[in-house]
Amino acid sequence: MRPRQKGFVLIAMSVALVLLLAVMGLAFDFGRIYIARNEAQVFTDAAAMTAASKLDGTDAGLDRARQAVARLPMRWNLGTKSFTGVVVEFSPDKRSWARVTAPDNQVEITFLRAVGGPAVFTVPAHSVAAAKPVRLME
Amino acid sequence: MMRRNRQRGHAMIELAVSAGVMVACLAGTVQFGYTFYIYNQLVTAVGNGGRYAAMRTFRAAGSSDIEKGKAAIRNMVVYGDARPPLGMSPQVLNLKPGQVQVDWVMDESGTRPAAVNVAIADYTVDAVFGIFRFTGRPAVEYPFVGRYAPTESEK
Repeated sequence: MRPRQKGFVLIAMSVALVLLLAVMGLAFDFGRIYIARNEAQVFTDAAAMTAASKLDGTDAGLDRARQAVARLPMRWNLGTKSFTGVVVEFSPDKRSWARVTAPDNQVEITFLRAVGGPAVFTVPAHSVAAAKPVRLME
Repeated sequence: MMRRNRQRGHAMIELAVSAGVMVACLAGTVQFGYTFYIYNQLVTAVGNGGRYAAMRTFRAAGSSDIEKGKAAIRNMVVYGDARPPLGMSPQVLNLKPGQVQVDWVMDESGTRPAAVNVAIADYTVDAVFGIFRFTGRPAVEYPFVGRYAPTESEK
């Protein structure tokens, strides 16, 4: 009887620990991923509108648009990291629309790694804005 | 008899140690999971409010009109409605218009807005096992693309 009982707690604990890590990973890591995705989307929305508002059909307008996007103070990862590698693209006529892509927002995974998840998870976002946006009548 | 008693003591200690670890882990999971859930809602609310502020007509006949406009933007962040009916519940638990900060960024002329900053000034998440306080985040900056009406006043 004794030799069989001896290892039981160890096995039960290790199984429970793996499950617990998975649950913690779902709450913590997925929580961070969803926030990062939302923050990136809100950023590209605002950045695309910022870029589009500077367009006037000239190359100088494109430069102003890129500078305005670079000056935006918005951050991600619960408001702590600035966006890097942001790509700003424009319509061929340089006056209709702007598209902003934030391609490499890498969330570091904490718990899901322990149960076979990746070390980082990238949450890209992109938005397009028209240069002549809708105005509220309000 | 001796042996059985000793074994039972082992099991109690093992249970105490493992339960302590597990309860701590679960408490942390609840705490962070709930806080992240609320923060995600705040990001959405601030983003939507910022977009509204960007497109809204800027009326500036007097300083009270600018203040009324800001109040409408705060309401949009909190309730998803610029003029919420009485008793409307906020989109994020316990968020109040006073906890939202709206700042216009003026252009070179000093009177015409170029952009708008919308941020959560001070919000506390009570996640049962811990308390998190957010000051100045989440925050957004939107360009002002709405109609500029310096002589009109708010209703």
